[in-house]
Amino acid sequence: MSLEIAIDRVVGGAESPTAVVGLVGELDAANYLEVIDAGRRLYEDGIRRLVLDLSGLTFIASSGLVALHSLILIMAGEAPPDPENGWGAFHTLAHDVSGGPQTAVQLCGIGPAVDRVLVRTGMGRLFLVHPDRAAALAAG
Amino acid sequence: MRLADVLSADVLAELVAPFAASPTAISIETIDGQVVAVAGGPARASSGDRYSVPISAGRAGIVGRVVVARRSGRLDPVSRAAAESLATAIGLLVGAAARTARRATERAEREVEHRREHGRIESELALSRRLQRSFVPLVAPEVAGWDLASYYEPAREIGGDFFDAFRLRDRRRSLGLVIADVTGKGIAAALLMAFSRPLLRAAVDRFHAPAEALERTNHILVAERHSALFITALIAVVDVRSGLLRVAAAGHEPPLILRAASGALEWLPVRGPLLGAFGRLDLRERALTLYHGDMLLCYTDGVTDARSPAGERFGERRLRAAARAGRGSSAQDVVDRIVESMQRFQAGTAAADDVTLLAVRRLPARKAEDGSRWRRSREPDLGT
Repeated sequence: MSLEIAIDRVVGGAESPTAVVGLVGELDAANYLEVIDAGRRLYEDGIRRLVLDLSGLTFIASSGLVALHSLILIMAGEAPPDPENGWGAFHTLAHDVSGGPQTAVQLCGIGPAVDRVLVRTGMGRLFLVHPDRAAALAAG
Repeated sequence: MRLADVLSADVLAELVAPFAASPTAISIETIDGQVVAVAGGPARASSGDRYSVPISAGRAGIVGRVVVARRSGRLDPVSRAAAESLATAIGLLVGAAARTARRATERAEREVEHRREHGRIESELALSRRLQRSFVPLVAPEVAGWDLASYYEPAREIGGDFFDAFRLRDRRRSLGLVIADVTGKGIAAALLMAFSRPLLRAAVDRFHAPAEALERTNHILVAERHSALFITALIAVVDVRSGLLRVAAAGHEPPLILRAASGALEWLPVRGPLLGAFGRLDLRERALTLYHGDMLLCYTDGVTDARSPAGERFGERRLRAAARAGRGSSAQDVVDRIVESMQRFQAGTAAADDVTLLAVRRLPARKAEDGSRWRRSREPDLGT
């Protein structure tokens, strides 16, 4: 099972250019770097807010959590270190992300398998969660 | 690239053949003046009109020249033009051949470099895997009345599972158990694992209470570690005399409790955020008593996420079924059953993640002997 990354750019105004990123399939160690790369490219293109549509995501491994967290850093203008690249990754980034949900990356369409992992690991508390794309975009 | 490397003597002879009946001589010479083809009148007229056109083969430079000569009288413009055309044509041929040869050489060099790089990565991976294996205990602590078993198989691409089992330093009645998984892959995951294992052990030794040990480890990771990666971890502390078990988990899969008397198999509902992401965890610790014959079974997501050739996941249901089938047998038997069931399910599909199982069973009252056995899929090779 692979992962498809479907990107819809949405006009979100000059203050928060937004993209909806649909993840379809399984997010694991084999493809989590692709998600991080997609986030980097969107940021370079001027996108400052992401809505991740996870309605097609049937599985998320622990590496997938690294990808979700890295997207928050990317949208905040911080360059996350390459999570697979030795001491550079080990030393370059200091962060404590306990300050409650940020708004630059929001989730929607979470199914039970993904929800279980987000709840078990506590990573769900980092995100505002919406039932679907429309609700996420309306939330601004 | 030399002229003779590209064009044989026959081809060169053909190129000059149209001038055979001409009063104008034409010759093709190499860069060092050797005549390799000649036709028509005297090839190297010592006197008279003579016109020489260098053969330029692009980046290969000047590789020779085309010479037209006439013993007497002036060279006609047609002969000069013919010499120029011929020089251009030969130059293009030699240049193209030089480019082809250059590309072949570069490709060969790239392949050598690629093989060298591949070999370097493979040897780094092999070293990392050996190091990773050294992070798990070789010898189970001997605990009378208790039976310990483990299984540990790192994935090909190094990941970050590790486990530990040890008697607490100043509380010899207590057995500390740690199982953990660093999120992500690669060298960074292995380094974080190497950094975290002694931290967790020291925290258990010092605080005795699982939740407090995890809080303390998290505090150090958040304050001092700078990584994009996180750790899921579970700590259990067992009083080996009373059987009192205390467990806390930070983002880790909840363990299974196998009850001998009732045959019940239940998840121990411990949960909390993973290590390294949040300033505070606010973990809730669970306590229960393991009676004779009961077992605590801890595992990492490599077990439940193991995939069949069809892409299906092994999952919690199959894990429970395999554990249930081993009810009443030793910790090692239960671990073996789960591993066999998982490997049958995988049917040769390569594991994407490390697989770790750790089982601790309080021996039935009639069994006095210590049944601790430690199983590892392969012995570590640190000697190379």
